[in-house]
Amino acid sequence: MTREEVGELIKGHLADELDVEPGAIGEQTRFKEDLEADSLDLYTLVQELEDSYGVRMTDEQAATITTVGQAVDFVLAHAPV
Amino acid sequence: MTSQEAGTEGALGVAALREDADRSDTRADVVVAVDCNGADLGPAEVAAGAAIAAGEGVRMILFGPAQEFGQALRDAPDGAIEAVDAPVSIAKSPDPASAVRANPDSSIVQAARAVAEDRAQALVCAGGTGAALAAGLFNIKRARGIHRPALALVLPVPGRPVTLLDVGANAQARAEHLEQFAFMGVALAQTLLGVGRPRVGLLSNGEEAERGSPLVVEAHARLRERVAGGASGFELIGNVEGGDLVSGVADVIVTDGLTGNVALKTMEGVSQTLLRAIRDAAMSSTRAKLGGLLLTPALRGLREEIDPEGQGGAYLLGLRQLGVVPHGGFARRGFARAIMRAEQGVSEDLGGRTHAALARAGALRRAAPASARIASLPGNDA
Repeated sequence: MTREEVGELIKGHLADELDVEPGAIGEQTRFKEDLEADSLDLYTLVQELEDSYGVRMTDEQAATITTVGQAVDFVLAHAPV
Repeated sequence: MTSQEAGTEGALGVAALREDADRSDTRADVVVAVDCNGADLGPAEVAAGAAIAAGEGVRMILFGPAQEFGQALRDAPDGAIEAVDAPVSIAKSPDPASAVRANPDSSIVQAARAVAEDRAQALVCAGGTGAALAAGLFNIKRARGIHRPALALVLPVPGRPVTLLDVGANAQARAEHLEQFAFMGVALAQTLLGVGRPRVGLLSNGEEAERGSPLVVEAHARLRERVAGGASGFELIGNVEGGDLVSGVADVIVTDGLTGNVALKTMEGVSQTLLRAIRDAAMSSTRAKLGGLLLTPALRGLREEIDPEGQGGAYLLGLRQLGVVPHGGFARRGFARAIMRAEQGVSEDLGGRTHAALARAGALRRAAPASARIASLPGNDA
């Protein structure tokens, strides 16, 4: 599991949910300000990360993740070995 | 006569279903995924309903304990029904969202996945709104441009059915959600109920535009603006009160899921209590029984008209494909109706009509800003 792989999964999910070109999403992209993602979008993203990588994210942790890069950091730091 | 007996033999059973099946020759080749678990009368009853629908030309994939489908598969035309053995049921789970994710082999998840993977084009779930909503959201996903899916129910009001939404998908809502619910309800009324230009009302505590919660007042203003643009396809009649749910002043009534669910359960409770009281009165004496016998022919027609099974159940709108959730207490006729309505909704492009109407009115959830703006942010690798 590399940083690039996790990033591609997140971008693919967001692109599909929000009808955005994956190439237009980068590590600095902010979920709410740049993509206008709502709470349901973020909830389904968290589910996707949990299902794909086995990470468990509390509501408090989720609230601190505001960009694509931060989401990638979280997965890399918390995915089971 | 029980509902079960009326399912295939009753004159108004199959005949009414066949009438709906005689649609134009634009009927698409649609497959309906049916979760057979969770019904009160068991998977075999759902499968029996599927056999009825198959007899009217609908193709299906049934998900559930396959050993209980046997008779239905034998009754159905060859090739109309594919059976997938999926005995795990999460219909009664107290936490449907967790259950859906923890049980990927459950019948509802497999059925929803079949729709997500385009092996089927509509979902019918016999066993529980919560599981259907969770499985639909996680697998079929929200339709693009939609804020929130909604659960719509067609109230069987004599003479003019009324579509009420949301009846429980969203306990909390924002004005833009209600705005989109109006368009979803209109598309349903036009597609499945044949209402050309539906009259839409917002459920409130008074008819005046300024009455109601801030949510209702804002939703009213938004819808007024959309209708003023002339592209809405419906007539906004304004606020309606609780009593108007069954008065026929509106074809589509919009509200948040909490209010809609409370209204629905209130109506169900009142009607059950009334029916019980009428039945008790009719059995209270010999004269009353005779009077009941005299009334029976007249009441039979009314009973058919207000039978919830006739409407097929609740409609899950706003996902990428249509979902229909028949009441768990239905008999085979009701399940057949749900399956046929699901097929009809897809054939007549209920989802596409909704999207087009929202687009014309400028009410789609806005896509993200232009990619150029995102790409220009430092650190982005577009």
